[in-house]
Amino acid sequence: MSATKTQMISRRKFLQLSGALAATTAVTNPYRVLYALTRDKGEITPDEIREVFSACDMCFNKCGLIAHVENDVIKKLDPNPNSLKSRGMLCARGNAGVKQLYDPDRLKYPLLRKGARGDGKWQRLSWDQALDHAAEQLDKIGKEYTRCGFLFMAGTDMQSTFVHQFAEAYGSYNVISHESNCLLSRNRAFLDTYGVMPTPDVLNCKYVIMPGSNRFEALVTPDSMDLMTAKGNKSKLVVLDPRFTKTAALADEWYPIKPGTDMAFFLGIAHVIISEELYDETFIKEKTFGFEELKEHVKQYTPQWAAKETEIPAKDITRIARELASAAPSAMVYPGRRSSDYEDSTQIRRSYAIVNALLGNWDQKGGLQVPKKIKPGSMHIEAPFYEDNPDDRVDAGRAQMMFDEEGSFKHTRDAVIEGKPYPIKGWMTYKTNPMQTGANRDKTIEMINTLDFMMTVDIAMSDTAWMADLVLPAPSYLERQDPLSAFLAASTCSGVITRDPVVPAMFESKPVFWIVKELAKRLDLGEFFDFTVDDFRKAQLKKIPQVAKALKEDGVYNITGPSFGIHKGKPFKTRSKKIEFYNTRYKDKGIDPMPVYKQPKTIPENHFRIVVGRNAYVTQSASTNNSLLWELEKENTLWIHPKPAIAMGIKNGETVFVKSLAGKVTIKARVTKETRPDTVYMDTGFGVLSKGLTNIFGKGACIAQVLEDKADKISGNMAMHETFVTVTKT
Amino acid sequence: MTQHKKYVIIVDAAKCIDCKACMVACKVENNVPEGFWRNEINVLGGEDGSLRTEFQPSQCMQCDDPSCVAACPVQATYKKENGIVVIDPEKCIGCGNCVTACPYNARYRNPVKRIADKCDFCEDRLDRGKEPACVVTCPTKTRVFGNLNDPDSLVAQMIKKEKLIRIAAPHINTQPNIYYFEGTQLLDWAVTPMLPGNINMPQNFWKSKSSSKEG
Ligand code: SF4
Ligand code: SF4
Ligand code: SF4
Ligand code: SF4
Repeated sequence: MSATKTQMISRRKFLQLSGALAATTAVTNPYRVLYALTRDKGEITPDEIREVFSACDMCFNKCGLIAHVENDVIKKLDPNPNSLKSRGMLCARGNAGVKQLYDPDRLKYPLLRKGARGDGKWQRLSWDQALDHAAEQLDKIGKEYTRCGFLFMAGTDMQSTFVHQFAEAYGSYNVISHESNCLLSRNRAFLDTYGVMPTPDVLNCKYVIMPGSNRFEALVTPDSMDLMTAKGNKSKLVVLDPRFTKTAALADEWYPIKPGTDMAFFLGIAHVIISEELYDETFIKEKTFGFEELKEHVKQYTPQWAAKETEIPAKDITRIARELASAAPSAMVYPGRRSSDYEDSTQIRRSYAIVNALLGNWDQKGGLQVPKKIKPGSMHIEAPFYEDNPDDRVDAGRAQMMFDEEGSFKHTRDAVIEGKPYPIKGWMTYKTNPMQTGANRDKTIEMINTLDFMMTVDIAMSDTAWMADLVLPAPSYLERQDPLSAFLAASTCSGVITRDPVVPAMFESKPVFWIVKELAKRLDLGEFFDFTVDDFRKAQLKKIPQVAKALKEDGVYNITGPSFGIHKGKPFKTRSKKIEFYNTRYKDKGIDPMPVYKQPKTIPENHFRIVVGRNAYVTQSASTNNSLLWELEKENTLWIHPKPAIAMGIKNGETVFVKSLAGKVTIKARVTKETRPDTVYMDTGFGVLSKGLTNIFGKGACIAQVLEDKADKISGNMAMHETFVTVTKT
Repeated sequence: MTQHKKYVIIVDAAKCIDCKACMVACKVENNVPEGFWRNEINVLGGEDGSLRTEFQPSQCMQCDDPSCVAACPVQATYKKENGIVVIDPEKCIGCGNCVTACPYNARYRNPVKRIADKCDFCEDRLDRGKEPACVVTCPTKTRVFGNLNDPDSLVAQMIKKEKLIRIAAPHINTQPNIYYFEGTQLLDWAVTPMLPGNINMPQNFWKSKSSSKEG
């Protein structure tokens, strides 16, 4: 069987890589491994100890790590100091990776749904039975509803590329990623201003305004570390957030801005910079397009006006604008990550992009820089053509400027439920959990209930797997061979990383590469997967042979060289070849060519706006059940300000109902001044339906159950902060 | 004369972002059971709706005059020449006297091993030429670890250059070996050490019984 072949090859390669002395058996009894975990250190003889490079997968950052292995059991994950990106750190989640591997809640073998969807009744299948069944469904749905009648959704994972390749060979262009629940509106805004998504050089920046981002807490990225170093070098950090996050706690200034008014703040900043002529005239002339229009446009947006909208005093807005301009070009508005907040989210981010351009920080030390990504090659396939396929994606035309390669979860789900413009009856998901991350969970359930067949490949029984008809167990990142993956961080620390199995795969888990390859064989598409991961890597390395050596010796390939002053004389990839204050493509499409402020909807009486986020030990729903991390957060809470809480008689720790148009949850209240009186807050990743997540089942509440599914008009990105809720005593 | 090592940690609490990487790293490295920790992040504020403003890591201070050592009836816990206060698992009877005798709440009784347990600066790792787990994993490098008796070490240089402080518990100065930066707004995690039966530890009790070999 090809699986064994793949594994043996990777195994040999990995033994070479790690220089291990002890050979190991190909098949490992999982229970022996679990037992071995509890053994005493004294029993281990030194020749059974190995140190192996890998890359973390507890979030998408791919931090370099070194696994300490004793007797084929991973005892500890340590940071790989060679990685310029992770700089010798592993966050709490990275450290908890061992518990993703040795987790009794892991999926162990293929499961077929028995009872109704979501009932949790399963029948164990052999891999052959499971694959035959899946192939039969793929074939049937393809014939009946065209190949585009099958939808594919893969999360941010180094093997997702194989799912995409499978969809291509199978013939469906209905492929969506997780990103439309996250950051697409940010990307849209910066691309449509700079022609590229720039990387912020936080390390050398002297003045950072961080609107809505929670860089010290929500995810530990290179920017988190750089921000702390910059802080030590007396850089100034100003945080705008309705919530007192840990980033706010460590900032020089925190403004609990009125939610949804960030654009007003930045238009006010632009007004001051332009009216007081605090910009670099040469830069504006040479590098930007539409300055006169912008000047005219922001005349109306005075700091006094912005103060009324944002509830930040006008004198502070004026002062911040001046301070920012005097620190320029080593000053920035931090672009942030997740931007799935408002219906005009792209336009809000356009206002950040525009202020950055006014600061002239492009390609400067401490400014916004050119992303330096190396592009590994790939194995191009000549996909077959299916004549009966519809003309376009199922979610086409629902957003003004959607990214075709990412799609929109929100719009696809609507299209599937409506059956318009054509029916979709099959769905494959891989390592993504829209049941938890996609606002309006009831709608996701409704969507699933219109399907003939849904299959999920994952490590544990996520809520999405819980709803599926067929659940297939995947190995964790520490047990599999992955292709190379380029990562992009700050411009100073991009690179390439890969993974070889540190320990053999446990239980009957199989990598998604093997799964799609087996499905392809059964569907007469075998020719498109006539390769191994090794072959794939060879193709990737063809034009970048230097990467192989670094991966072997250092466990990571770092791109070095200057990070600024490298774009001199080059045109921008925009229509005007310049940075666009004014976007003519927007104008052609009937979109405001410059961001026009629209007041956020008024919060109805006795309601709150709900906002969501995460902390340093939870990566959305994928890590809340990890027992090491669960110990740090056993359930989420509803943050509510003491003023309304006292008025309603809600005490700290008391269970409350939270209700919106999308649904109702029960959750414990955390009465705290760390949120505005008009805004309540919840962490992601709890309130699961899946009884296969034994630590968190029955704990806390699910954000997707209360959030309404609004979308950013331009990008189709989910808009999660447009929901109003009531909070009542139980 | 060969000079002994004197391991210390310097904590720059202003750098801590409360990400708890150090807590999870320590737990995995040292097999600390659920519900217990060898290290902790103490938070200033945050309760009753007040704002959280500072995060202070803490762990065993490897004291030069350790009251835990004085309280142990069977001499299972003692200070080594390298400065680390350790527990001999063969000798420890799990009575827990040392747990309440520590002014820094650094100890706990390990329910799996049925003996006292606490931070030992990851001695196993030091033997393998690695720094403590909590030190290496930290994104902001809040902790700096080293041998104070080596003048070239970063810790020795920092002690000379920076204004550092040590935190003494009420009534008792056990001569701790974790240093903090002077500006740190100190929390009251240091507690009054107790003898069995909730008896206050008499002044100098621990000094008379301490077996510190540091000079
Ligand atoms: S940030 Fe943390 S979870 Fe994400 S890859 Fe790095 S160590 Fe892993
Ligand atoms: S008294 Fe407490 S802090 Fe000091 S060495 Fe003993 S256990 Fe550690
Ligand atoms: S030095 Fe080692 S034992 Fe002590 S707190 Fe750090 S990780 Fe834990
Ligand atoms: S790892 Fe570092 S920053 Fe994170 S909580 Fe521990 S000391 Fe603080």
